[in-house]
Amino acid sequence: MLRVLMAACLVSLAIVVVVVIAVPDTLRADFTYAAASGLNTLDPAQMSWTKDLRVAVNIWEGLTAYDPQTTTPIAGVAYFPPKVSPDGLVYEFTIRPDARWSNGDPVTAADFVRGWRRAVEPGTAGDYAALLIDNIAGLGEYYDWRNQAVSVLTSLSRMSAGGGDRAANHRQSLLAHALECDNRFARTGIRAVSNSTLRVTLARSCPYFLDLCAFPTFMPIHESIERLRERFEDVPLTAQGLVVYDPQWTKPDYAAGAKGNTARTRTVRAKARDSLASETGGSACRGLITNGPYRLAEWSFKRRLRLERNPYYRDHDRIACRTIDRLVYSDANTAVMAYEAGDVDFLPGMEVHYDHRLVQLSAAGDRPDFHNPAVLATHFYIFNCRDQEVLGRTNPFTDVRVRRAFCLAVDKKLLVEKVLARGEPVSDHLVPVGLIAGYESPPALTADPAEARRLLAEAGYPDGRGLPAIDLLYNTAGVDEKTCQVLVRMWRDVLGARVELRGKEPKTFAEDKVNRRYMVARAGWYGDYNDPTTFLDIFRSDNGNNDTGYVNRAYDDLLDQAGRVSSATERMALLARAETILVREACPLLPLYQHTNLMAIKPYVKGLYPNARLVFPFRYVTVD
Amino acid sequence: MMRVLRRLVLGLATVAAVYTLTFVMVMVVPGNPFANPERNMPPEVIKALEARYSVDQPVKYFFEFLAGAVRLDFGPSFQYRDWTCTQIIASALPVSLTLGFVAILLAVLVGVPVGVLSAVNRNGWFDVTTVGLVMIGISLPTFVTGSALLILFAVFAHWLPIGGWGSLAHLPLPALTLSLPFIAYVARLTRIGMLDVLTGDFVRTGLAKGLARRVVIWKHAFKPALLPVLSFLGPAAAQAMTGSFVVEKVFGVPGLGQHFVDGALNLDRGLVLSTVLVFAVILVAFNLLVDVVYGLIDPRIAEAT
Repeated sequence: MLRVLMAACLVSLAIVVVVVIAVPDTLRADFTYAAASGLNTLDPAQMSWTKDLRVAVNIWEGLTAYDPQTTTPIAGVAYFPPKVSPDGLVYEFTIRPDARWSNGDPVTAADFVRGWRRAVEPGTAGDYAALLIDNIAGLGEYYDWRNQAVSVLTSLSRMSAGGGDRAANHRQSLLAHALECDNRFARTGIRAVSNSTLRVTLARSCPYFLDLCAFPTFMPIHESIERLRERFEDVPLTAQGLVVYDPQWTKPDYAAGAKGNTARTRTVRAKARDSLASETGGSACRGLITNGPYRLAEWSFKRRLRLERNPYYRDHDRIACRTIDRLVYSDANTAVMAYEAGDVDFLPGMEVHYDHRLVQLSAAGDRPDFHNPAVLATHFYIFNCRDQEVLGRTNPFTDVRVRRAFCLAVDKKLLVEKVLARGEPVSDHLVPVGLIAGYESPPALTADPAEARRLLAEAGYPDGRGLPAIDLLYNTAGVDEKTCQVLVRMWRDVLGARVELRGKEPKTFAEDKVNRRYMVARAGWYGDYNDPTTFLDIFRSDNGNNDTGYVNRAYDDLLDQAGRVSSATERMALLARAETILVREACPLLPLYQHTNLMAIKPYVKGLYPNARLVFPFRYVTVD
Repeated sequence: MMRVLRRLVLGLATVAAVYTLTFVMVMVVPGNPFANPERNMPPEVIKALEARYSVDQPVKYFFEFLAGAVRLDFGPSFQYRDWTCTQIIASALPVSLTLGFVAILLAVLVGVPVGVLSAVNRNGWFDVTTVGLVMIGISLPTFVTGSALLILFAVFAHWLPIGGWGSLAHLPLPALTLSLPFIAYVARLTRIGMLDVLTGDFVRTGLAKGLARRVVIWKHAFKPALLPVLSFLGPAAAQAMTGSFVVEKVFGVPGLGQHFVDGALNLDRGLVLSTVLVFAVILVAFNLLVDVVYGLIDPRIAEAT
C-alpha cells in the first residue's frame, strides 16, 4: 500500500515538473515595465484606464502624437500642422503616404472615419466618447438620435422575440434604421475627402483639438474589424440596434481562434475567418491590426503583454527597443523588489505603504532613479449641493456658506506635509496651477478658521450647534482613509461638526456618488488634455461627471462663451473667471492637493521622461 | 458502487445549490457592475451594456449561464471585456492546479512522517518541537511567510526569481508558502490519529505477540491513523488547487484565486459565477475521490453503506 502511494506521488511529481517545464519561457524583452493589474481592454474606443491608454498610445497612432517630454502634440499619421480655417473650426489633415498598418496596408482617411464613428456608436461607446461628441459638429445630434433609436429598437426586439412575421418586421425596421444611420452620419463634421485627406468640422472652438487627436478614442481602425460585427440576420446591427463587435478582435492570435466564446460570437468569428480566408488567402487578419510604432505580439491574461516593433511603421529602424514586456505584479511590494533586483526597467507607480520614505530618498538625491513629478490631476472632495435631505438627515451643504466654511476650515499644508508626506503640492484650485501654458489660476480660498466659524454661525450653526451628523463617503480601495480622518478631526476642531465616515467598495462607492447618496464625498480628476476645460467641464450643470448636483447657468455660460471666442488670452481669462466661481464663490468642491506620481526608471534607460500626464511613448526609449 | 453513485448525485445537487445561491447573491449585491469609480458613463451606454449582458433579465441570465457552463462556455467577463470567462479560467486553472498539487504533495510527504514520528515519540523532544512548529505553521498568515521567503531566497540570496510564472524556478517559493499551513494540519491530524490508534486493542495484541514495533506502526496502525488526514485532504486539495489569493498576490502568480476576489470586487458576475462553479465542482470531485479511497483503506466503511 505504502509503496503504491509513494510510486503515485513520484509519478505525479514528474508530471508536474514536465507540465511546468513545458510552459515556454520566452526571452527577456529589450525593455520591461511593471503594472499593478491586467488591462481592462485594448479596444481604444472603450478604454479609460491609464494602464490601458499607456499601451494604446504605443500600438496605435492618431493624426497627431505626443511629445515624450512636454506631451504637446507632434506629427502623427498626418502631416503637422494640418490646414486650419481662419475661424479655427475646420481642420484638414493630410495623411502621410508612408503611414501603414501592422499588416502593411496603407492607413487611409476612411480608417479614421471608421474609428471615430465606432467610438460614438451605442454598444461600443466608452467613457471618452464625449471627447468626440462634444467637439465635432453634428456628432452630438447623431449620438442623441442613435440613443433614442436604440431605446425604441430594444423594446421592439423584445416584442419580436417570438420569430415569424414579427421578426421579419423587426429586420425591416433595423434595415431602414441602418440606412438612416449612414445618411445621418454623412451629415456630421467627419469626412474623408480622399484616401489621404480627412476634413473635420468642429462644433465649437477647440484650441486643444490637435492634443485630442493623439488620444486613444481618436484612433483609426483597420477595415478588417467590419467582418467581426454582430449582425441581426443580414443587418449590421444587433437586435437592439447596437453596434457590437466580437470582443476577441483585440487579441494577438485572433485568427488562430482562441477557445471559449459564446456560441453566437463563435459563429460570427467563424464567418469572419471564412470571408477573410476567401479574400486574402487567410493571411490578412492575424490578430489585432494596429498602426503604431509597436504591435501586439503576445497577451496572456494578467501575466504578460509583449509588444514588438511594427516592421511597417515609418520610423521603425529608428526605434531602439525591439520588444517590450508589460509584466503584472499585483502586489506593490513585489513590484518594488522586482525593480530592485533588475527584473523590470521601469516602475510607473510605487503605491507601497512606505512610499513617503521613498519620496524622501528621492528628494534628498539618494535615489536619482526615483522620480516624483506633480501630475495633471487634482485630489478634491465634493459637496452634495442639491438634495435637501440625504440619508434621512438634512443636508446643510445646499447652503453655500456651509460649503465655504468647510473649505476654509481645512489646513491642507498640515495634511500633505505631516500626514501624507508624499511631496504633493497643496492645491486650492481645480485646475493644477502652472501646468497648462497660458492659463493663469485665479485667486482661491485659503485656510481661515475664524472666517469659517463666522460663516457657519451666519448659516445658523454657531459652533456647529444644530448641524446634523455629516456623512463623508469614501472609497476603501484607495488611500483616502487617512485623509478622511484628518478632515474629520479638522472639521470637528474648527467647526464643531460631527462627521461620520462611510467607506465603500469602489463599485458601490461609484453608485452612491452618482446617485448623490452622500453629503461630502471623495473625488478627484486626471486631466486628459492640456487645457483647463478638461477639469472645468466636469462642473457643468449637465455634465455626466458632475456628481455634486451643482447647477449654475452663469458658470455654463462662461464656458460656452470661452468656446466661441477666438482670442486665446480672452478664452483663458473667461475660463479663469469660471474657475473663480468654483474655488472662491460657490465652492461645490474642496481642492486638497495636486497628485504626484512616484516612479522608478533604471539609470540605463534613456528617452523616458517623467512628465505631468504620465504619457510614455516607448519608441523614444533606449536601453544602454 | 451504490455509495459512489449516491454521492455523485448528491454532489451534483450540491453544485446546483451553490450555483443558485451564488447567483442570488451576485444579483442582490448593491452597485452597478459597469460603474467606474472615477468617471461616470452615459446612462444610455449603461443600458446598452445591461441589455447586451442580459443583466436586466435575471431569469434569462440564470439559465443562459447554466446552459453555457455545461458546455464549458462561461460567457464574457463584465470587467475584462476582451476576455471570456472560459479563457480566463483556462489560463488560470492549470497554474492553480500545478501550484496546489505540489503544495498538497509537500504537505503529505512532510506532514505524515512528521505526525507519525511525533506520535510514536510522544512527549519526546521531537514531539514537543514539532507541535510548536505546527502551531506556528497554522497561525502564521501566508502573506507573512510568503514575504519572508521572498526576501530571504529571492532578494538576498538571488537563488530564485522575485515573482511571476513560466519556469520551474517560479514554483518552489509559492508552493512552499502555500503548503506550510497544510503541512502543519496534516502533521497534527496524523499525530492525533496515530495516538488514537496506538491505544487500540489490535496494536496491543500485535505488540504482545511479539511483532516488531516498526511493523506494528507502519503496517497495522498507519492505515487507520490516516483516515482523519484523508478526510481533511479532500477539501484541502480542492482549496489549494483553486488558488490562494494571498500567495498569488505576493508572488505574482496568475492563478484562479485572485480572479475570484477581483471578480467579487468588480461585481464581475460572469467571472464570480464561473470561478465559484469551478471551485464547487473541484471540491465535490475531491470529496468523492476521498470517499472512494476511504472505502479502499477501510473496508468497514464500504461494507457499512
